[in-house]
Amino acid sequence: MPVLETRGLEKRFGGLLAVRDLSFSASRGEILGIIGPNGAGKTTVINLVAGIFPETSGQIYFKGQEINKLSTHERNHLGIARTFQSVRPLDHFTALENVMIGALFGQGMHLAEAREYAYEICDLIGLKNVDRSIDNLTVLDLKKIEIGRALASKPDLLFLDELMAGLNADETAEMIEVVRELQRRQLTIIVVEHIMAVVRELTQRCIVLDGGAIIAEGSYEEVAKQERVIEAYLGKEE
Amino acid sequence: MRNKAMLIVAAFVIAAASLPLFAGPYFLSVFNTIFVYMSLALTWDIMLRTGQLSYGTAGLFGLGAYASALLVAKAGLNPLVSIAAGGAFAGLLAFFLGFGVLRLRKIYFSITTLALTTVFSVIIRNLPRLTGGASGTVLPRALFNGDPGKNYWMIYCLALAVIAISVWLSKSKTHYAINAIRNDEITARSSGIDVFKYLLFIFVLTSTIQGVIGAFYAQQYAFVQPEATFSMNFLLLPLAMALVGGVYSTIGPVVGAVLLGLVSEYLKLIMPYGHLIVYGIIIVLVVLFMPQGITRAFAKLFTRKMQVGGVDSASLRD
Repeated sequence: MPVLETRGLEKRFGGLLAVRDLSFSASRGEILGIIGPNGAGKTTVINLVAGIFPETSGQIYFKGQEINKLSTHERNHLGIARTFQSVRPLDHFTALENVMIGALFGQGMHLAEAREYAYEICDLIGLKNVDRSIDNLTVLDLKKIEIGRALASKPDLLFLDELMAGLNADETAEMIEVVRELQRRQLTIIVVEHIMAVVRELTQRCIVLDGGAIIAEGSYEEVAKQERVIEAYLGKEE
Repeated sequence: MRNKAMLIVAAFVIAAASLPLFAGPYFLSVFNTIFVYMSLALTWDIMLRTGQLSYGTAGLFGLGAYASALLVAKAGLNPLVSIAAGGAFAGLLAFFLGFGVLRLRKIYFSITTLALTTVFSVIIRNLPRLTGGASGTVLPRALFNGDPGKNYWMIYCLALAVIAISVWLSKSKTHYAINAIRNDEITARSSGIDVFKYLLFIFVLTSTIQGVIGAFYAQQYAFVQPEATFSMNFLLLPLAMALVGGVYSTIGPVVGAVLLGLVSEYLKLIMPYGHLIVYGIIIVLVVLFMPQGITRAFAKLFTRKMQVGGVDSASLRD
């Protein structure tokens, strides 16, 4: 049974069909890549599965259960967590407290328990000096806070939205190690990514979106060769 | 350091509790009023901690006042019980209203809560058989027969309870939830926070307290009347006190209420006409120059001095 499965998922924003007839699935322990040019509907897919806004039609199944009617926080309680493309840390909280939020409300832990667990998570993802305010943190640390908060809710499915954007080569390498470690823990991970080296490095399987629809599916090597994919990224040669 | 702070707090608590033993009725009434507004300022601030700017404080205060006064006047309820009933009524109504107004955000929430205050007062004005209409209802007896000491102790205990609730909230899991909601609702939802549940909890809690304070106010003066009971003062003064003291904290509204309460009383004495203008100017100046509030401005000054001291002693050693 796949961890996540969508059937005929569609999202319309006024006259724009952002996602059309989208059917895909992800199985346990898999890292699935969603790639495609800007505006292809990648983040919209995350928002639909996370329940940020409702789909126009289609079904979403998570661990075999239809979750279309569930609200965002209920989906999180079931085991769906995500990071945001532009980091959204919570001000007035320390780095640790940001991570604690996931444990407190995603897992329903008590304060002391959540604090302990958040320390563990920070250790796992290599986030240091966690009792500082988040005011002067680097992009890498802010991204780690995003992952930490998502992880602290003990998800089965984790969306990583443009995790590597804004990181330099060393930081990207460090982040790839973090994601690998999560995979070893049997998490299902869906990465939305623009940096193709990262996609090649991390994913076993990719789906390529263009104009909200799947135009190719397979390993990175397979899809990167396909003419439709190259056209979608570079435009058609006349 | 912590023990010292606790001692100072304890000294204040005991000094305030023993005020009726040596102060006259005038001082008691000044502090009585300060505690009324302090409680309202705290409830307004607690709601603000969720990111929702409520203008409904006066409305729920007035509803609690009317519920309590009418229960005593029409049903002969014990005044003390009626104060609890006033709070329960305001809380219950907030629970049902919450399903509507808590779907609104920002200015839409604020304006709607303000409009509700007017709606409550218009409804009450138009039910003369029940409420006495525009001229209001006078109760046969004031609370504790108008004994200033007992009334003072009553509102003092209520204010202490509200302070305790505010402190408890700031140390609880709820603090993390409402702070997260204020910061970024999408992040909060995605992290498993049931946003509506927490907003409803805080809205009902603060409305209940506002109802209790309104009910006490009505019983103390044995009088309710639409214009006086739903006066915008019960919104604007608490709001100003929280802003001047410093929002998102317990100490801010408490200090703000005492400061502004004393300043307004003093101004009233030295210039019977025009004191409100000076009062307004003070509020504007504080908000302009100490947007974080007086308590945070002082805290900053204090820590900076300590740091400077630290640097000095270090350089002396060299």
